[in-house]
Amino acid sequence: MTGLLQGLRQSSVDWRLVLMGVVLAAMSVVFHVMSGGIFLGPENLYNIAQQTAVVGIVSTVMVLVIVARHIDLSVGSTMGFVGVLIAYLQYSAGWSWQASCLAGLAVALLVSVYQGGLTAVLGVPSFVVTLGGLMSFRGAAFLVADGKTQPVSDDFFVNLGGGYDGAIGVGPSWVLGGVLSALLVARMVLRRRARRQHAMEPEPLWLDALLTGGAIALVLGFVAVMSAYRISSKTEAQGIPVPVLIWGVVAAGLSFLVHRTRFGRYVFAIGGNPDAAALVGIPVRRVTLLLFALLGVLITVAAIVSVARLNAGTNSLGSGMELYVIAAAVIGGTALSGGSGSILGSVLGALIMQSLDSGMLLLDVPIGKRMVIIGQVLIVAVVFDVLYRRYIQES
Amino acid sequence: MEALVELVDIHKSFGGVRAVEGVNLNLYPGEVVAVLGHNGAGKSTLMKMLAGAYPIDSGETRIGGAKVHIRTPAEAQAHGIETIYQTLALADNLDAVANLFLGREKLTPWRTLDDHFMEVQARRVFSRLNKNFTNIRTPVRRLSGGQRQVVAISRAIYFNARILVMDEPCAALGPEETRMVGDLVRQLKAEGVGIFLISHDMPDVFALSDRLAVMKNGRMVGTYRTADVTEDEVLGMIIGGRQPPGKEQAFRPV
Repeated sequence: MTGLLQGLRQSSVDWRLVLMGVVLAAMSVVFHVMSGGIFLGPENLYNIAQQTAVVGIVSTVMVLVIVARHIDLSVGSTMGFVGVLIAYLQYSAGWSWQASCLAGLAVALLVSVYQGGLTAVLGVPSFVVTLGGLMSFRGAAFLVADGKTQPVSDDFFVNLGGGYDGAIGVGPSWVLGGVLSALLVARMVLRRRARRQHAMEPEPLWLDALLTGGAIALVLGFVAVMSAYRISSKTEAQGIPVPVLIWGVVAAGLSFLVHRTRFGRYVFAIGGNPDAAALVGIPVRRVTLLLFALLGVLITVAAIVSVARLNAGTNSLGSGMELYVIAAAVIGGTALSGGSGSILGSVLGALIMQSLDSGMLLLDVPIGKRMVIIGQVLIVAVVFDVLYRRYIQES
Repeated sequence: MEALVELVDIHKSFGGVRAVEGVNLNLYPGEVVAVLGHNGAGKSTLMKMLAGAYPIDSGETRIGGAKVHIRTPAEAQAHGIETIYQTLALADNLDAVANLFLGREKLTPWRTLDDHFMEVQARRVFSRLNKNFTNIRTPVRRLSGGQRQVVAISRAIYFNARILVMDEPCAALGPEETRMVGDLVRQLKAEGVGIFLISHDMPDVFALSDRLAVMKNGRMVGTYRTADVTEDEVLGMIIGGRQPPGKEQAFRPV
């Protein structure tokens, strides 16, 4: 037993993430019981997953922005601006959805490189730059279509937002689940082999198997739940919703950036010690600019999903979203002082926030109380963060 | 023998403050030159210009006789100049392996980080300096002062410095580790590496350096063979800016 505990402690398992998973599970069970068996039903879980996607997509990259000691308060406004623009170009200007999305991407990149440039090149604090952006780009969202709602109707485009036909179906979902499971196993085997080739001891086999098995169980469990949900007017069950698929691809892509590429390592190095990063020859400005450009790309993705989901672009699209995005990153263990955070944490953080909100909604908790509670949960998360870091002697 | 480094008439101002004024200094292969002076004398600024951390206002840098322009730390590294900063310049949130290769990561053919290669190499170079250093995968903030120093010094060794700048390398170290640094300096010297040593510690300076250069208020007071001067004379130069009477300056090694 002590051998087991010691193995666990010395392993590379991120205990904080495990704990967050436990919190999410415990919260779900409590809501499930209190809601009389609705919360953990396929319909509710399907909706939560789908509703979290937009905030989740932006949160993944917000983690990196905060890790690099920056912040972006303008994400909600920029998303609104880009979203209305994409909808306007389709509805009022008659562009194809592809062309309008590319135009949206170009504008988002312009906005983020402008703000990132002020931050990275001139050294203006990103807090101030993006606080201005929060205001300006909300105004720009209004200016695009004079405040008028812009409906979108292209079938393919609308399905990107989920909804009635916005899921990939049961068969493809299981195929995807199977492929992912195979990839997880392959990754474990390859990593063990590589360590042996370099004459290093791999992690104990049981631990690797446990972690990989756990991840596979989560993937397949998720596929099973999504495949169990059928909209009553349809004959086929839904499978994985498209927005969640996009979110998954984004999160996997960013995790890859963080762990396997120079760019990810430099973002963390800059956050850990900006002076040292410059002294060892890291191109701090270029990395910061690239990071803001990446943010622009993902804001466009989130704008597309959310316009498609609403079937329209409105000038209030994404209002207040910056708070949820930053809260998801922080609940997910990203330190506002920079240098530490994880993509998977932001996924869990976003899910915790949305589950809490949805759960209380199911229990008919009024909006005022919901806001009070969610705000305090954020504080609890930060207090925990402070105590946890003190415990592991990080600060 | 040709000089490894020649700094000629170097000037540097920050705003209106003249940090370095018309300084000349050189370094030959296999030589240790101690750079001394009060805080604010300009010695760290001079060394940071050599390391590419600050641009030079005016003056000339020659490496191996050839005129060079060092604008960034990466360009300094390309000339074989490695610097061990007093602050160590470590990213505290990253582990020792990541810090050793920071800015110069080894990539796989697919342009991803070759972590296994870097870990094996790091293990080898760390163990050369400290046999007991094994927790190389924990963030460096949790390492001891000596271990952190090992990481910083390892950068210079691993990337085969020809010219090494050490800024107070022993300031945070215990006696054991100080001896280790001393041994390393002698070993690198024997391999033909040229070393600039910034230190306040007189016993270190006299034990390790071949020549010493004293700066005061941004100017060079004088450069002497270490064996030619006494500790009192050196202190006189540092504090009073007085050249010791009757002693000849040394602009080349013996």
